[in-house]
Amino acid sequence: MEFHDDYPSYETMYNHDEAYGKKARRTLWNVFWIMLAITIGELIVGFMAPGKGWSGSIWLKIFFISFTIIKAGYIVIAFMHLGHEVKFFKYIVLLPYIIFMFYLIFIVLTEGTYAGQKSNVTRVDPVLVQQQLDLQKGHGHGNGHAASAGHEEASKEEAHH
Amino acid sequence: MAHTAEFDAKEAWSGGQSPFRVSYGKMFMWFFLISDALTFGGLLVSYGFIRHKYAEIWPKAENVFTHFPFIEQHLPLAYVGLMTFILIMSSVTMVLAVEAGKRMDRRGVLVWMFWTIIGGLAFVGSQAWEWFHFIKGTDTGAMRNVWDMATGKYVLQEWHGANMTVNEYGVPQFANYFFFITGFHGTHVFSGVVINFVIFMNAVNGTYERRGHYEMVEKVGLYWHFVDLVWVFVFTFFYLL
Repeated sequence: MEFHDDYPSYETMYNHDEAYGKKARRTLWNVFWIMLAITIGELIVGFMAPGKGWSGSIWLKIFFISFTIIKAGYIVIAFMHLGHEVKFFKYIVLLPYIIFMFYLIFIVLTEGTYAGQKSNVTRVDPVLVQQQLDLQKGHGHGNGHAASAGHEEASKEEAHH
Repeated sequence: MAHTAEFDAKEAWSGGQSPFRVSYGKMFMWFFLISDALTFGGLLVSYGFIRHKYAEIWPKAENVFTHFPFIEQHLPLAYVGLMTFILIMSSVTMVLAVEAGKRMDRRGVLVWMFWTIIGGLAFVGSQAWEWFHFIKGTDTGAMRNVWDMATGKYVLQEWHGANMTVNEYGVPQFANYFFFITGFHGTHVFSGVVINFVIFMNAVNGTYERRGHYEMVEKVGLYWHFVDLVWVFVFTFFYLL
């Protein structure tokens, strides 16, 4: 390998022995079980949510987003080994990104008012609205054709964008 | 063996060493990942904005993604859950390859990188299968006003599947964002598989034994974990919320 003595060879500095390796592997497998448990929990809640009417609620959003951030934290700190780096380097990687994301979301929430206000409602094709209403009344499949045929005349008058 | 300990800032920046005690290649892989994370962050925020704009009529993922290969049943989000598991599993095998590299254990690196590549290919294949079924659509379809070139008018007809202008699930933006975000992520996964394969072949040929360290495996591992990280967010915002 290339020899240089004017700066340390960081590539080889972090090699470790068998004993440390055993501990490292155990930590990694523990993180895997935690990630699996969280994912299964999220899937169960996601599956139950429409039946229990939780869809769209703020609590569901808080639940999913916080567990996603927990999973992201485990991946970055344990799998990508950012937890083992010098503190300053951790800051350099994480802080600009987190600050920018908060800023972006803040700008979208405060400045993006041209969409979604009652006075500014986008004209949407009524078939799309009808489809979602039918899906809520029935469940999923089998409603597309029968229900829509009934209001075909009404849609035809408005059938232009 | 020991990972980094804190040290005095003045000494850190006085030259002759990395102030972060990290090699140039690893540092710049981190910087590249930040830039890529900004790209995906922007895409996901824009997705959230459009989804909120059409909140009442945005299709529910449990109704759309219900297929599972070889099983003719209504299994909402099951296959996506499996894909998430496959990608997390491949992340674990990747970090085990990195750990083997730190012990200069060539055989360990080869075994774990092999399974990482298999996991990556399984994920890309699964995503392709999802796209195929998304584009093909269901038997029932939905009524859509489709532009008819011949008559120059919108015609209400039963529509199956999805393309960039109309889909049977909901507003056109639903399919657009599905294709763009999962496609962009899938491209990253595929390029990660290719890069993993190149590094795997290098390890087979003993390049890293001669070099004296397996840091290349670690750098490529960072990219692979980033791909998994993005999927965790895409999975939450697309399929769960």
